[in-house]
Amino acid sequence: MAVVTLDTLTKVYDRGHAPAADAVSLDIAHGEFMVLLGPSGCGKTTTLRMVAGLESITSGTVAIDGRIVNQVPAKDRDIAMVFQSYALYPHMSVKDNLAFGLRRRSVEKAEIERRVQNVAGILGMSELLTRKPHALSGGQRQRVALGRAIVRDPKVFLFDEPLSNLDAALRVSTRGEIAALHRRLGATMIYVTHDQVEAMTMGTRICIMNVGRIAQVGPPLEVYRHPANTFVASFLGNPPMNLLEAIATDASDGRGLKIGGSGIKLGAARCPALQPGTTVTFGIRPEHVLLAPPPHGEGIAIETEVVRVEPLGAETIAIVTIPGVDTLVFARLGGDAVLSVGMRKTLYFDARMAHIFDATGTAMRPT
Amino acid sequence: MAIFRRSLLMVALTLYTSFAAGPFVWAAMMSLRTTTEIHRNHFAFPNPAHWEKFSDAWFNSNYGLYFANSLQVVVVAVAILTIVGAMAAHCLARYRFRLNRVIYFVLFSTIIFPPQITIISLFQILVQYGLYNSKIGLTLVYVTIQLPLTIYILESFFARIPADLFDAARMDGYSDWEIFWRVALPIAMPAVATTVILNFILLWNEFLYAVVLITDEANRTLPLGIQRFLGDTQEDVGMIATGLMIAIIPVIVVYAFFSEKLIQGMTAGAVK
Repeated sequence: MAVVTLDTLTKVYDRGHAPAADAVSLDIAHGEFMVLLGPSGCGKTTTLRMVAGLESITSGTVAIDGRIVNQVPAKDRDIAMVFQSYALYPHMSVKDNLAFGLRRRSVEKAEIERRVQNVAGILGMSELLTRKPHALSGGQRQRVALGRAIVRDPKVFLFDEPLSNLDAALRVSTRGEIAALHRRLGATMIYVTHDQVEAMTMGTRICIMNVGRIAQVGPPLEVYRHPANTFVASFLGNPPMNLLEAIATDASDGRGLKIGGSGIKLGAARCPALQPGTTVTFGIRPEHVLLAPPPHGEGIAIETEVVRVEPLGAETIAIVTIPGVDTLVFARLGGDAVLSVGMRKTLYFDARMAHIFDATGTAMRPT
Repeated sequence: MAIFRRSLLMVALTLYTSFAAGPFVWAAMMSLRTTTEIHRNHFAFPNPAHWEKFSDAWFNSNYGLYFANSLQVVVVAVAILTIVGAMAAHCLARYRFRLNRVIYFVLFSTIIFPPQITIISLFQILVQYGLYNSKIGLTLVYVTIQLPLTIYILESFFARIPADLFDAARMDGYSDWEIFWRVALPIAMPAVATTVILNFILLWNEFLYAVVLITDEANRTLPLGIQRFLGDTQEDVGMIATGLMIAIIPVIVVYAFFSEKLIQGMTAGAVK
């Protein structure tokens, strides 16, 4: 069992400055793969380091299996961490790197040897044991860093952007390996990244952070499909969700909105009742901007002008403008879509997939 | 064109090598000749070579004693400098504490003082503590004068060791003390070797402090011993050259032993 509980965890580096982590509360279940996702400086690494015991806690608590560990040194928390830079000891062989932590814990020599060989076998690096880190490739170093964490058999694994120094191809394969490792070990893992693909593909749940606070926590697809606010909506997805300023025009069942010069009707099932004149943000993901009305019939026709076309083979990204709207609208269309710059084109928003956010950026649900 | 460039490089290197090694070869030749022979012809080859001059210098001119004194003082001073300097450098580079930079600046600023400024006060202090004219006193002075430069060289290297390594070692269960000995110091070996060589050579050849702080024959170091052959009216050039050769041997040994690390220290771009 390893349940990690963060309760209003706060870190202030310099008094008078905004907290790096601000009242972060999070329950991480046993065996869960929790991904802390957010842009640079959002407090995700600081939060992870407080869990690790590498950073002092200004206020709040970190508990592992119900026991508050604020005052427990890093070495006694039974946690292993994989660092962004791998942090392999350059003067030691791979074998010594793996065994270094076990030696300190007075594990018997024969047991150390058995565990090192076992981990080397799991990660396919048995033939690398005598090499020094400088004689390894980036991917091999990453494996050693992983191995160093696994060999300790800790309660909790922490990962601080472990794939960011790998090239794209290696990142994909290592991503799969870490996910497989999680399934195999069934251990609690907390993984920090700014890469949403890693978060979406690996996480049991995602915790999206912004300016030190949690913006939303949930399973990847739920967070993607139902963003709690405009930050999450715009952070997840590539291209991100289109967010357009809109003004409510009527609160009747039609639920009318005006986007620029275009009036649209969302219907009561898709939009809360809004006082006419209320400013809201209308959100629609690029894949829900269509060339033809959706089969279910709830499409909103909108006149656009194409300003850029990015054919990517499997899909085409069209960037269009709507009369009276400054914001560019991204549409993810089929690879066979034929569009050209300057073309006027009627596109359709899938009303079932539309999102409405209030003036503070918080998602509004239909009433 | 390539041949021309190569030839030019070879000529430049030959000239430089002659310039650098010429005096050494000359002194080496003189060390095997008597003073009378040298006065007759300054640049002649040693023929016959007087190898017995080395045993004569070692046994009859007290070079053995001076050598042993130098070795004691310099080895102990370099050992203390290396350990204390590395600890201080690691501390200044690694830990955030109040006045960190002030301490670093104060330490570093002492480098600018010429030795003549401090020598009188050092003399006074050593007399007060009964350390004047003793090898312990001279050792402590050597540590004092070389410590700021040692810390300065090592601090910049320790600061380049990624903090993640220390965090990883903490997660592995090691204390700050163990991390210094088992992680920081081994990684910093190239820089440590650089300071060992630098301090060894500087202190092995040190004359000014030794001549002021040591007067007793039994405690003289090698540079003072060589000075003995410089008289007011005449000097034993042949014996001075032999003494110089004896004095140079340890420097060459230390350099040969640490040179690879020294080059690593000078060329290390990043610790990865």
